[in-house]
Amino acid sequence: MKVFSKEELARYNGKDGFPAYTAFKGKVYDVSGSFLWKDGSHQALHIAGVDLTDAIESAPHNTEGRLERFPVVGVLSKLNTRVCSGSR
Amino acid sequence: MAKVAREMVERSGINVNQLLELLVKNAAAELTTYYYYTILRCNLIGLEGEGIKEIAEAARIEDRNHFEALVPRIYELGGRLPEDMKVFHDTSACPPASLPKDPTNIKAMLTVLVEAERCAVRGYTHICNLTAGKDHRTYDLSLAILNEEIEHESWFSEFLGEGPSGHFMRRGDTSPFVSKFLK
Repeated sequence: MKVFSKEELARYNGKDGFPAYTAFKGKVYDVSGSFLWKDGSHQALHIAGVDLTDAIESAPHNTEGRLERFPVVGVLSKLNTRVCSGSR
Repeated sequence: MAKVAREMVERSGINVNQLLELLVKNAAAELTTYYYYTILRCNLIGLEGEGIKEIAEAARIEDRNHFEALVPRIYELGGRLPEDMKVFHDTSACPPASLPKDPTNIKAMLTVLVEAERCAVRGYTHICNLTAGKDHRTYDLSLAILNEEIEHESWFSEFLGEGPSGHFMRRGDTSPFVSKFLK
């Protein structure tokens, strides 16, 4: 499974032809197909391309359950540095 | 625009532009839901469908009222609605409440209805949380809308057999909570 660094994840912000990815609890989800993530923005409060684990702790919905409907495209590196693309 | 009203909200620490974006998105959700519920209501036919039609109609009219009540607050705070209706539709805070492939499947119809209401409940709960103790007017409005959205959710949930709603259908006028903003 592809391992994303935070910098690499940031490219997938739903803009300029890039898909919208978001990380939650170590998994990276492709939310491009969601009506609620159009243009990489969610409810005027969140943007794609970042780890939302902390930011959406207070979200008014069961985040894990709602993200499960989207494909997992990788995992987020625990290191805060750039990693090589591809499998590990 | 109500300049001092906006200034007071800004001074409370609220990001007014972000709040306005949320209000516009929820106004779009209300008006589009009103439209999609019109189609759902027309298709609620037969013995089962007719039993739900009246309650779907109450929710439809109240969602339109929510749109009407939200718009003045958007302009008071210096916001505006998009000129392009297609843009407005696509900015909605909730997905389209589209007609199921089989409109005679009443469970599918109710699922569309209850999911739309649940999206609204999440949205207004969030706006209430953002504005509580800071932007009193937006909070008051959002709370009034939230009260009605929760009732809508519980009506449709009850029809799905998830549990009793605990209250009756509307008797008399619609929007018992939001009507004070429509006068």
